[in-house]
Amino acid sequence: MLKIKNIDAFFGKIQVLRHVSLHIEAGEIVSLIGANGAGKTTLLNVISGLHPSPNGSRVFLGVETRSLRPERIVALGLIQVPEADKVFSPLSVLENLELGAYIRRGDPRALKKNMEEIFRLFPVLEERKEQPAALLSGGERQMLALGKALMGSPRLLLLDEPSLGLAPTVVAEIFQTIRSLHERGTTILLVEQNARDALRISRRAYVLDTGRITLTGAGEELIGNEEVKRAFLGKDYRGKWER
Amino acid sequence: MPIFKPDVETLGRKELRELQIEKLQIVVNQAYANVDFYRRKFDEAGLSPDDIKNLDDLGKIPFTTRKDLMDNYPYGMFAVPLRDVVRLQFPLGLHGNPIVIGYTREDLKIWRELVARIMVGIGVTEHDIIQVAFNYGLFMGAIRFNQSAELIGAAVVPSSIASADVQIRIMQDFRSTVLTSTPSFAVHIMENVKRKGLDPKTLSLKTGLFGAEPWPESVRRALEENLGIRAYDIYGVMELIEPGVAGECPARKGLHIFEDHFLPEIVNPQTGGVKGEGEEGELVLTTLTTGAYPLLRYRTSDVTALHSTPCDCGRTLIRMDRALRRTDQMISVRGINVFPEKITEVLATIPDAGPGYALIPRTKYGMNDQLTVQVEAASRILDSREETKIAFQEAVQLAFRRALGLRVEVELMKKA
Repeated sequence: MLKIKNIDAFFGKIQVLRHVSLHIEAGEIVSLIGANGAGKTTLLNVISGLHPSPNGSRVFLGVETRSLRPERIVALGLIQVPEADKVFSPLSVLENLELGAYIRRGDPRALKKNMEEIFRLFPVLEERKEQPAALLSGGERQMLALGKALMGSPRLLLLDEPSLGLAPTVVAEIFQTIRSLHERGTTILLVEQNARDALRISRRAYVLDTGRITLTGAGEELIGNEEVKRAFLGKDYRGKWER
Repeated sequence: MPIFKPDVETLGRKELRELQIEKLQIVVNQAYANVDFYRRKFDEAGLSPDDIKNLDDLGKIPFTTRKDLMDNYPYGMFAVPLRDVVRLQFPLGLHGNPIVIGYTREDLKIWRELVARIMVGIGVTEHDIIQVAFNYGLFMGAIRFNQSAELIGAAVVPSSIASADVQIRIMQDFRSTVLTSTPSFAVHIMENVKRKGLDPKTLSLKTGLFGAEPWPESVRRALEENLGIRAYDIYGVMELIEPGVAGECPARKGLHIFEDHFLPEIVNPQTGGVKGEGEEGELVLTTLTTGAYPLLRYRTSDVTALHSTPCDCGRTLIRMDRALRRTDQMISVRGINVFPEKITEVLATIPDAGPGYALIPRTKYGMNDQLTVQVEAASRILDSREETKIAFQEAVQLAFRRALGLRVEVELMKKA
């Protein structure tokens, strides 16, 4: 579904991504894990067309998206749920959701159907649909952010740290939601610092370490992998002979 | 015949190449970050991991040789600390420094799956009884057959190096359906079946899986006729995974290399220049998924050619011709590797012996069945009494047996 190859990215002169290549098949949950500053969010932004990448290719559903503007990429069905500024606080829940469907405007029936489905998925949003988003709890705001993205009928959903700053019980709920989104047929690229939970629900995963992909494998297999831990904590041994 | 992992074994060549470049970049990143040897090699070549953008860039990476593995013995080639390693294996019979290969839990799992792919591909199922007649002490790959067979759910009989009589008795009593061994041991069993006047039809054998030494087509025909089996070839490299790099499918038009785990190339053994498809040369392998012991462009010393034309079995994985020749002087005797350098090394430890010698293998069915080593001896040995000569000869023989794991005949000769 998505194939990216040799992606570089820079902030000024600092290179934050180095020839990153990865792929996602339709129907997969793939997670991208790595420490703070590894370049995960930048990679998502490159895929969404929000951050420039001077080279490499990124093909979504057979379309090279390098030269496409972000809104065209969204229209193809590639939708990112960003980490910060997830929702528009002064606007109501309903208005937020409608904004998510901006790209699909002109088909009120499909819109309504989408909205109903999102309310089935997140009953709490329906209960609070008239309230300003500012009054929602952290978990509810994350659900609204997801709901907003779903209003755009994504084929591929890019989730950037959906569990960030949430209480453990809420985190479990969010991961459960991601799982059910996947079961509904949405392909997901999940960026997480919460590696354990992410790997548990992922079919495959990539580890990003200071701008480079250093490991890949099945999600379950990477859970106990020491290299994954080292990617987060840095080198934890002095010599190869240490046991 | 079924395919164990159809999603990769029948993947389109283009998709496979995309998967390979992704994995190659990862293994290069790992090797550069974690293996000092590779970091040094890259730096010396003025090469950065970032320069590997396509499979064509593979050729920029310097080769890895067996000497490199020896020079970095024991843990210099490891990409993970020892605490992540769950198995340490060292091939016997090598000369100079030994080498030691580490495996993580994940590496062993991959290996187990690869041999299972070969087994499933030639029709082995959970209903089979697999008789493993490899030397478990000398051949590191033997245990792999157990684990892979168990993965499939087949029953394993590790008959190891029991005598031919015992092997045949097991075949009869247990109704073994698959025999896996060196081809020379299979020939030995076959000869005993013939000697006993046994009708192979009374045996339950139907499949043979043979490897660890080169065996010509004439051996295949003899084994098939006289044991009533279909015989298949399996290929491995002791420094990577042995066996499990490649295996034959029912079409038997070469051995499919598991390209989701190994990236093969053919090079000119003299110049190192990369050769095209179908051209014969030295097989060079890059591991794509190995965690503990990644090898970039490893020179296997095996001579073969690659073919990616479609195979009747439906697999898209590239095929290598059966590896029957070497680029080095190593010879295989009953599945045991003998390096001339090792002979020199052994002789250097025995006063009055060497340095000159000659290796005279005796062949049976085109395979080396026995080895005679003619050894230069000092004249004070040659001119002494018969008992002294015999004692000397036996001492040399024992030294070889210890070093090679192989009983050789020793003949004494005058210094040139």
